[in-house]
Amino acid sequence: MTNIVPLSKEAHRELKIDARASAAYGDNRHFVQVIVNEFPHLLVHYPILFGKEAQTGQFFCGAMLGFVEGENQFLEDWRRDAQFYRPLSLQREPFYAQGPELAIDLDHPRVAAGEGKPLFSAQGEPSRYLQSIIWAFQDLVPGIERTRIFITRLLELQLIEPIDIEVEFEDGTLRRCEGLYTINQDMLARLPDAVVLELFRRGYLTLIQLMIASLKQVREMARIKNARLLERTAGLAVAPDAAAR
Amino acid sequence: MNKAVKAVVIVGGGTAGWLTAGIIAARHQARMKAGGLSITLVESPEIRTIGVGEGTWPTMRSTLERMGVSETALFRECDAAFKQGAKFVGWTTGEPDDAYYHPLMVPQGFSRVNLVPHWLQAGGAVSFCDFVTPQGRLCDAGLAPKTIAHGEYRAPANYAYHLDAGKLGVFLARHCCEKLGVRHVLADVESVRQSESGDIEGVMTRQAGQIDGDLFVDCTGFAALLIGKTLGVGFRECGDILFCDTALAVQVPYDSPDAPLASQTISTAHEAGWTWDICLPTRRGIGYAYSSRHASEEAAHETLLRYIGPAHKDLPVRKIPIHAGHRDTFWKNNCVAVGLASGFLEPLESSAIVLVELSAKLLAEQLPARREIMDIVAKRFNETTMYRWGRIIDFLKLHYVLTRRTDSAFWRDNCDPATVPERLRELLTLWRYQSPWFYDEFDRLEEVFPAASYQYVLYGMGFKTEVAAEETVDTAATALRCVHDNEKMIGELSARLPTNRELLNKIHQYGLQPI
Repeated sequence: MTNIVPLSKEAHRELKIDARASAAYGDNRHFVQVIVNEFPHLLVHYPILFGKEAQTGQFFCGAMLGFVEGENQFLEDWRRDAQFYRPLSLQREPFYAQGPELAIDLDHPRVAAGEGKPLFSAQGEPSRYLQSIIWAFQDLVPGIERTRIFITRLLELQLIEPIDIEVEFEDGTLRRCEGLYTINQDMLARLPDAVVLELFRRGYLTLIQLMIASLKQVREMARIKNARLLERTAGLAVAPDAAAR
Repeated sequence: MNKAVKAVVIVGGGTAGWLTAGIIAARHQARMKAGGLSITLVESPEIRTIGVGEGTWPTMRSTLERMGVSETALFRECDAAFKQGAKFVGWTTGEPDDAYYHPLMVPQGFSRVNLVPHWLQAGGAVSFCDFVTPQGRLCDAGLAPKTIAHGEYRAPANYAYHLDAGKLGVFLARHCCEKLGVRHVLADVESVRQSESGDIEGVMTRQAGQIDGDLFVDCTGFAALLIGKTLGVGFRECGDILFCDTALAVQVPYDSPDAPLASQTISTAHEAGWTWDICLPTRRGIGYAYSSRHASEEAAHETLLRYIGPAHKDLPVRKIPIHAGHRDTFWKNNCVAVGLASGFLEPLESSAIVLVELSAKLLAEQLPARREIMDIVAKRFNETTMYRWGRIIDFLKLHYVLTRRTDSAFWRDNCDPATVPERLRELLTLWRYQSPWFYDEFDRLEEVFPAASYQYVLYGMGFKTEVAAEETVDTAATALRCVHDNEKMIGELSARLPTNRELLNKIHQYGLQPI
């Protein structure tokens, strides 16, 4: 499945990576792990929520990208606009951190494509693309730990609660997203002053507010999805043959 | 005579004492913090607890959650495992394929439709249990009732616990003292001081002097120090209904640390009684409850060894008397008996701990503010508790009277109508023409065994209820939907749930999340 090896200037000099967003490369995910450093970027497009790792039950922070498993309704935006913010955990594919070193999964379809962005210049210097990956990991590695500590504190304060996201779409389907959690605003409002101050000093109050604000993106995502559904229905309306099929 | 009730003294630790302390303390935290109520538990440093009650009811989950106990800590510190019901082997015919489940999930759509007549009309191609709930299938497959991603006390399949009762007492003691403000006194009670009215004023201890109180809870186990020895309340035997009067218990190790774990108590019928078989993560607790009138200790020992296998023949066996019965009254003057001090029955349906929870909860909710109203509360407490003991005895007896076994005197004698309580005899007659459901007798707010439990046992043991063809017409569509829902649920849960062992290992490694 995977063939992860340390990245080497010599062995991987000629390697090219297709960094474009594509379902074929595993970007068709409806919920991806994110770190607290990304929250300000994420807020612009995505609801930031908590999920649980299936294998351990541990909480993690994630960005919601779709309403059903395997649905990422931002794929088009990512393909169209390279500057559209993509969560680091997807940006970094097909690279991994192995201790302080960067490693690469040679069996990843992005590598197998055989075309795309070079990793090294002719002189063996890291390319701009590789440099962006290195920066991503400089954020990711400590960021995952920071996020874990943030979540631990929220759990201690009982500030996490389940959220029911239920949306009815124009095509009549009802989508319920289960296993998602958000900030418990009632508990937040009841925190003692000393704890509020602590959360503020640690930067957690900002993160909490960003998560709460990002909930507005759920409705925005539903609106966009509905607009697309309507477009498709409109298309069918002018092509009765297609509709009949 | 009209003193405020401000000091509750619980005499005796163990599961009953600490559960009672925790339930009352959790309910009255605000009063305790304001100094209006104190809870003291006096426990002898020497007396060992009985610790055979290793199975609970699902009520234990809400009880512990309300006490603020971490479920992860419970699993880790009390050697706890999941319990999803009981499997009764050999109770009906004694043939090799004779087994049925009493699961903990109620039948699908239980509040909307009684599925019994629909199952009877369907002709019995599947067992009643599998017709109405996924839980028997989950048990067969060794699956847990939840995944690691479900928060503490949450689950798609209802569950209770199998646990080490000795460890539970110690665990609850720490929680009650550290988190709930219960005062723990390690001392031996040497005498009890009473007022002229008979109320208990205090207990005199060897190590800690006199401990006074306004309300006393007797959790001294079989000794029944306050309710029996001090207040002289009589004991009502029921050995003429439930014959098992002795148990031989043994702890059996696993062959390997990752041996599969059953999440059902396995109750297997034998010549003169039945064995329990309870899987904890580190060992199995097995015991043979039998009637000494129908088997000698030697014969019982042989039966037990036959069950656990020759490899375990040298394990130490503990003999426990089962003095089946209960007190004539449970709350007298200012003293309430909870746990073994109030009575004991064979652990066929794990009724011991649930009865402690129900009694303590009733006590906590109705805690009289002043001595003046205590007798009114006591009267109601006694009525309810007497009703509960009666229903438990009926329900245990039900397991015996439905047998078709005639291979030993024990089973034949059990079917003697003279040994069946009148109320149960009447119900069995009634149930020949209608099945237990709502609007039946079992409609109390906190019924120990609800109508669903009776359904599982009756139809698990092949009881016949006559149903007219028209009876099911009106509810046919609802029933069909429930049956489909059940099949769907069996598929979904089977695909998703880990095995008991896998999940317990994960709980030990990662812990369950609080939500």
